[in-house]
Amino acid sequence: MAKTKPASDVADLGLAEAGDARIAWADAQMPVLRSIRERFVGERPFEGLRVGMCLHVTTETANLARTLIAGGAEVALCAANPLDTQDDVAAALVECHGAAVHAIHGEDMATYYRHIEAVLDTRPQLTMDDGADLVSTIHGRRTELLAGGEIIGGTEETTSGVVRLRALEAAGQLGFPIVAVNDARTKRLFDNRYGTGQSALDGILRATNMLFAGRVIVVFGYGWCGQGIALRAKGAGAQVVVCEVDPVRALEAKLEGYEVLPGVAAAAKGDVLITATGNRDVVRREHYEAMRDGAVLCNAGHFDVECDLAALRELAVERRQVRPHVEQHVLADGRRINLLAEGRVVNLAAAEGNPAAVMDMSFANQALAAEHLVKTAGTLAPQVHGVPPELDEEVARLTLAALDVEIDALTDAQRAYLTTWDQGT
Amino acid sequence: MTALSSKTDFKVADLSLADFGRKEIRLAEHEMPGLMSIREEFAASQPLKGARIMGSLHMTIQTAVLIETLTALGAEVRWVSCNIFSTQDHAAAAVAVGPNGTPEDPQGIPVFAWKGETLEEYWWCTDQALAWPGADGPNMILDDGGDATLLVHKGTEFEAAGVVPDPTPEDSEEYGVILGLLKRTLGEDPQRWTKVGQSIKGVTEETTTGVHRLYEMTEAGTLLFPAINVNDSVTKSKFDNLYGCRHSLVDGINRATDVMIGGKVAVICGFGDVGKGCAESLRGQGARVIVTEIDPICALQAAMQGYQVATLEDVIEEGDIFITTTGNKDIITAAHMGRMKHQAIVGNIGHFDNEIDIAGLTKTPGIERINIKPQVDEWKFPDGHTIIMLSEGRLLNLGNATGHPSFVMSNSFTNQTIAQIELFTKNDEYERKVYVLPKHLDEKVARLHLDALGVKLTKLSPEQAAYIGVPVEGPYKPDHYRY
Repeated sequence: MAKTKPASDVADLGLAEAGDARIAWADAQMPVLRSIRERFVGERPFEGLRVGMCLHVTTETANLARTLIAGGAEVALCAANPLDTQDDVAAALVECHGAAVHAIHGEDMATYYRHIEAVLDTRPQLTMDDGADLVSTIHGRRTELLAGGEIIGGTEETTSGVVRLRALEAAGQLGFPIVAVNDARTKRLFDNRYGTGQSALDGILRATNMLFAGRVIVVFGYGWCGQGIALRAKGAGAQVVVCEVDPVRALEAKLEGYEVLPGVAAAAKGDVLITATGNRDVVRREHYEAMRDGAVLCNAGHFDVECDLAALRELAVERRQVRPHVEQHVLADGRRINLLAEGRVVNLAAAEGNPAAVMDMSFANQALAAEHLVKTAGTLAPQVHGVPPELDEEVARLTLAALDVEIDALTDAQRAYLTTWDQGT
Repeated sequence: MTALSSKTDFKVADLSLADFGRKEIRLAEHEMPGLMSIREEFAASQPLKGARIMGSLHMTIQTAVLIETLTALGAEVRWVSCNIFSTQDHAAAAVAVGPNGTPEDPQGIPVFAWKGETLEEYWWCTDQALAWPGADGPNMILDDGGDATLLVHKGTEFEAAGVVPDPTPEDSEEYGVILGLLKRTLGEDPQRWTKVGQSIKGVTEETTTGVHRLYEMTEAGTLLFPAINVNDSVTKSKFDNLYGCRHSLVDGINRATDVMIGGKVAVICGFGDVGKGCAESLRGQGARVIVTEIDPICALQAAMQGYQVATLEDVIEEGDIFITTTGNKDIITAAHMGRMKHQAIVGNIGHFDNEIDIAGLTKTPGIERINIKPQVDEWKFPDGHTIIMLSEGRLLNLGNATGHPSFVMSNSFTNQTIAQIELFTKNDEYERKVYVLPKHLDEKVARLHLDALGVKLTKLSPEQAAYIGVPVEGPYKPDHYRY
């Protein structure tokens, strides 16, 4: 479709055909995004607009990129994590869909940052982030991109990114409006809870092939992701222990029937420890010192800071790769701690990320949020905004239609009852 | 004690409750499709004509439907409850009055049962129901826990010895009461129980605990008549024990205490069918469930379902709710209760009251018992902490609530009725042993309950039946299949 292929840096363009078949497979499970794409083909809301995307390079992201391209955008994409790129998808996006892609599975940190710079070199007018790497780089090393006033706005996919962006806003430095897609109900209630709940366990299974039934699984953090992981782990027959810092969340976990323990006490009894907090150093030296021989440690949060890996390496007298994605750390007393995917987000690193059907909802929000930013260009303050509720509901409606679910509507009398103050008895 | 003293041949708490009982019986009949189908099927043939059935089984609304099924099939019936707390007084009144009688003119069956009997009263009731006007005694027993069977066997044993022993200090209070009763009957009629035992054609036994006693007597060669183990019908133990307890445990705890179960730590002692149902229901309410087991297979089952498996000693200070389901004795001791959290709830859903050491609790120096309401007692230890005991350690789903729901009891009681017909009409085919009902009857019981739930069964084709080597119409599984 694109006349000349834009500059790209991917592992092997020869993988394009295989990648495109998988993109089509995911597309079949993303009916909402597909319906939006079909509308965009006619309306061309992004005609000639440069979009910079820093998202996990997966089949689902490919379908989001296709949707934006179908709406007229020129897309440049890099990875939001060095381990999450699917090289066949990267190749297919370049060869079959006309995107510029800068992403290679397993790239080192220098390459990773070089790829972010390459996307920013296209002078994007819209940014689409998963972890805020584009926006924070713009506000750090690439402030000249702010000066031109060309950037209409950006969207942010995940909790960790929203936290960074709100900090930027609080510091008075955010240069353009951001729509926090993560905060849409149709994103966080589904992607985080049911998507990560399933895929984080999938990652652990693929990495270890262990049986969950009868094991003690410790979940650090009982936010939406942690709730999903705990729910599915319990369903698999595990005994789930939750660790929290927020008393309300902790109480929710307790009344759901989980054991709630401080981290170190939990570390001492866990067969599997999963972090899902969005914070750093959640599992650290004191936890490693308490852990059981053979414990499996992994992270389902966005960044690899949740486990203090430096401390783990310091404690280890030997480190060995025992299976793909499983690095065994042998401590001085002989205990072995099995770290999965180098402490990076395990569902993407060791499995395939969230299932397409749930990413469909998240990315439908992304596409509609991008359209919203363009339509309201110049009117939104440089702050972190929520997804407008009507877009959120539109995504839910489209998803229900795709699932053949019919729902009720309020009667006029009911609507009146809910909006007046003098009825009630 | 509020029981009426009646000139007629029964004893219940209050006949004026009969109308309420009859209304609940009518509702229960709809929920007991198996029993009602059996009534229809055998209405004409009257297979229990001539049967004199003495029943010792919780005198509840569901049991009333069983009793009236037995009489509809031609049997004469006398009944007692098999637990001092489990009688529903309105059910007992309705059975005594009968469908065609009035409180002023009762025309039902002789029933001797009220909620809150003393041990002496309990065994007096059993004695009354075993005394048959115009005959030596019943010719059939329908037992739950084996108390009626026990009395006949002990009576026969002591009559043969010519003397009833005195209770020893190790004997339970209840055994002392039994010995007292037998001592009296030995004086009145030295052949009373021997004759009763000889007139009995067989017993059908409802529960795990009673079955256990029957197998022991078979081993020892002392069993006086054949027995059918109804408990081990799949449609009994895999339904009543599992789904019945899943329903009625939480019901009992709620009615007794109304505590929030979500967020609590519940300790279930025993992970048999009853324990499995209990664990599932408490987990469903949001409790974290810890299981104790002695059997490695059951323990592994619990672990694989995600329950923590620990010893009671290790978690005694952690639990908020303790439930015994073992069928064994001395599971929770007074020392255990001394270490529990303040206001820990302690209850038993096993058949007998010996799973929790109430006697030991009573003997604890300085202990104080504060009755909160019927079947709920707070026991205060000298250090000030208390525990809440449900139904004095007797099965709390019946003591604090209304036992298993009708639908599940319909499965159990349809088995009972079929077993009574089987033993009574084909008595020659049975030796002095314990039998289980054949598989095709078990499947029949299940079949009778499918329509009510809207279940559509798939039929085997003759080719499919041949392929797996079973008849098209069943039975579908070998006897050793575990379901």
